[in-house]
Amino acid sequence: MRNRATTPLSKPKIRQSWSKYNLFNLQRLRNPPTGSKTFFQQKWTAKSMARAYHGEQVRESQWARMFSRRIRSVVPMSPARLAQDDGSGMSAGRGAGVEGTKDFPRLTPFTQMTFAPLERRLDVAIFRAMFASSARQARQFVVHGAVTVNGKQMRYPGYLLNPGDLFQVDPERVMYATGAPKDKHERREGRVARRKSAESQETEAKEEGAAEESGEKKDAESEELGQQRENDDPRETLKVLLAQAKNIMAGSKDVLPAKKKQELRGFQKAVKRVLSRSDSSTVLADNLESQFSELITLLKAKPAEKKDAKRSKREQSSEDAKNVSESTSESATASESQPGEALTEAFRQAAQNPEEEVDTSELTEDEFDVLKRALVQMRDNPIDSTKPYATPWRPRDYMSAFAFIPRYLEVNHNICAAVYLRHPVARPGSSEVPTPFGEPVGTAAFAWYLRRR
Amino acid sequence: MPPRVQNQLVTNSLLPYLSSSSTPTSTISKIPTQCSSSSIPSTSRRTCRPFSSTVASQTKLRNEMFTWLSSEGTALKNHVPGSTNYLTQFKERDEQPAGRTRPFPLNQNFISESILSEELRNEIYDRVVNQKKSVRAVSVDLGVDMRRVGAVVRLVELEKRQKQQGKSLALPYARAIHEMVPTTPLYEDTRDNRSRPHESINDLPVHKLTDPQIFYPVSESRQFNRVDAGRVFSAAPALENKQVTNTAADPAEVISSITQNPSHIEKVGKGAAEQQVLQPADARIPHPHLIAHERFRQSNPNEYREIYKAYSERLRQEETAEKERKRLAKERREQQQTKVQPESSRFEFRFKDVVVSKETTGTDGRGSKAPGIRYGVPSYERKKGQVKIPTRVEV
Repeated sequence: MRNRATTPLSKPKIRQSWSKYNLFNLQRLRNPPTGSKTFFQQKWTAKSMARAYHGEQVRESQWARMFSRRIRSVVPMSPARLAQDDGSGMSAGRGAGVEGTKDFPRLTPFTQMTFAPLERRLDVAIFRAMFASSARQARQFVVHGAVTVNGKQMRYPGYLLNPGDLFQVDPERVMYATGAPKDKHERREGRVARRKSAESQETEAKEEGAAEESGEKKDAESEELGQQRENDDPRETLKVLLAQAKNIMAGSKDVLPAKKKQELRGFQKAVKRVLSRSDSSTVLADNLESQFSELITLLKAKPAEKKDAKRSKREQSSEDAKNVSESTSESATASESQPGEALTEAFRQAAQNPEEEVDTSELTEDEFDVLKRALVQMRDNPIDSTKPYATPWRPRDYMSAFAFIPRYLEVNHNICAAVYLRHPVARPGSSEVPTPFGEPVGTAAFAWYLRRR
Repeated sequence: MPPRVQNQLVTNSLLPYLSSSSTPTSTISKIPTQCSSSSIPSTSRRTCRPFSSTVASQTKLRNEMFTWLSSEGTALKNHVPGSTNYLTQFKERDEQPAGRTRPFPLNQNFISESILSEELRNEIYDRVVNQKKSVRAVSVDLGVDMRRVGAVVRLVELEKRQKQQGKSLALPYARAIHEMVPTTPLYEDTRDNRSRPHESINDLPVHKLTDPQIFYPVSESRQFNRVDAGRVFSAAPALENKQVTNTAADPAEVISSITQNPSHIEKVGKGAAEQQVLQPADARIPHPHLIAHERFRQSNPNEYREIYKAYSERLRQEETAEKERKRLAKERREQQQTKVQPESSRFEFRFKDVVVSKETTGTDGRGSKAPGIRYGVPSYERKKGQVKIPTRVEV
């Protein structure tokens, strides 16, 4: 199906989409003039406006078959009021109810529910659950096989969900649809990474002699790394880690994203370096808990072994202090560097008398928390140039203006799954069908489909 | 519409000669950077190509759009964690609180309603799965619809399974959404969740029979209540005096007997037009036991312990009745089915007798839902225009 769902500026149409063009059109949308128009014209305009938004991917004849003039509605009841009277007050007197009960309920916007049957469609429901940035994209996800309904793949965008159906979209696609796009530098990074991985695969496939030659560079790198490893003792690494973690967790808006990214990358590298020192290979798995505990035990255990090398440590720690102060002076205050020292102090105590119980928990709660949170963020939202969206993931621009989730869906965003609870209903004062048009358009469109024109 | 390539870099060879001689290089170097940044208004855009004879690449509307996006639209570009960020609050100057929940400026009737927060969701799951509370009780306690409670349990279960399998989760995305959309928190005191519910849990669906307006003359001396109104709507004869006095004596008992045995509801009409008598709202809301609870509370206002006891007893009755009903339905279903599992087979074959009834073959015996080929009933399976999209997916 050709995509005719454009958002032109000259003849504005509102679409089910989060694009900025759509936002601009939505911003200048007005109710169509009715003064000099015939009733037919009013209905035609309203219908064409509404249909450009509601199910433009559905043929008109198909929609005309789906249309139902009976609109679902509910009335919220209060058990306390039902308990108080049996309803005879409503019919008392001359039939209009007893005097004094003049609390008129708000009107139920029935005509705003004209397009409720379309909300049952799978592609529209995916868009409403905020798994795709437009109904067209949702449709593509379905057609491309990224959507399951009740655990089975469903390739029909026109599948009408039944109450209780659970649909799920591939989280990677959702992250791509809702995340900010890559800029050209990130795209280039991705290309370079891909080329590198391809090259490395090739070299591995080739004979080992060739691998040795190419490995020279790597050796140089690893030597550097090794030097670094020799240089930095656990306490230093911990300090650096903490400083980096704090910088990351600070989340200050004034820090440039590029700089933040550098920090994140540095942190990632540091953690990897620390973890690579341990012999067990399990830590390299993605399990955060084990990674964290490994990191902690590693940093605790090491000073206990190297008790004799105190002097060198002190020298280094003084250097570290300088480094830390330098690094923190940019963004953080002196108070922020303090907990790191407290932690190292605790570690020192723990190292000097490992049997004794040190009140590390009191001192290091914050640091552990900071370190852990940084690790969590790094794990949940890593920098990965192979992803099709900008990493670390952030919501795309102008997304919040369209962010709402109607009540007839129950969505779990962690796994990108949602349950279609029931059909949308109208209730006094509100309708559940998200439509950008006001009551005049809704009523005229409803009148159009009543086919009495 | 994908943004068009903006060829604003003016490659006018005359430009360096025309510009002032003092700092020619610097001005030229400035121009592209100014133009490439989209945050400047259209006026400066126009001025940065003063001597170009080519047609402007931007239409007036595009200029307007980018102007708006860079001025008023900037507030909408990024989300504000913890609050909604809709167009309405910028369109309507008078900072109404209602504008914060309406995503569409023209639609007064659509409001962005809150979603369950992570804690509330986990609490629901914990109560249903670990504490083994009934869905009905959890729904009343936390102010969440029963269907939603069921859905939450399913989804959290699925999430746990995915975590176990090591599948990737969209955590940053979920966090961002929960920052953008209003959420219902789990209050410190969980009784607050009952007093400030997530949604209305006692929604009465509007029945089709109540659509027509009926003028029904009743004597002024008569108590014409909801039960009578339901009978009038479904064209059932009025109740006799004895039944009326019975109902008035113990309304809770009457309602619970209806809700606990829905198959025993009186029917009116003949043949195909037979239907159940429309029941009063007391029986048709999702939590009818709450009415009895309220009545008991209003009659004994200060006996909290008694009230709680009666409430839990009523809840228990309701649950046992529901369980019994489900058990019977399951038994009936299994009676109709014969299961055969051959030796050394992974499959279990389930056979069901053909039922010729109004539901399957229809009143004229030509219904399309009934199985098998029937004489005189053509199969349109392979005909043009048959929709093959599945209508349901079995779990």
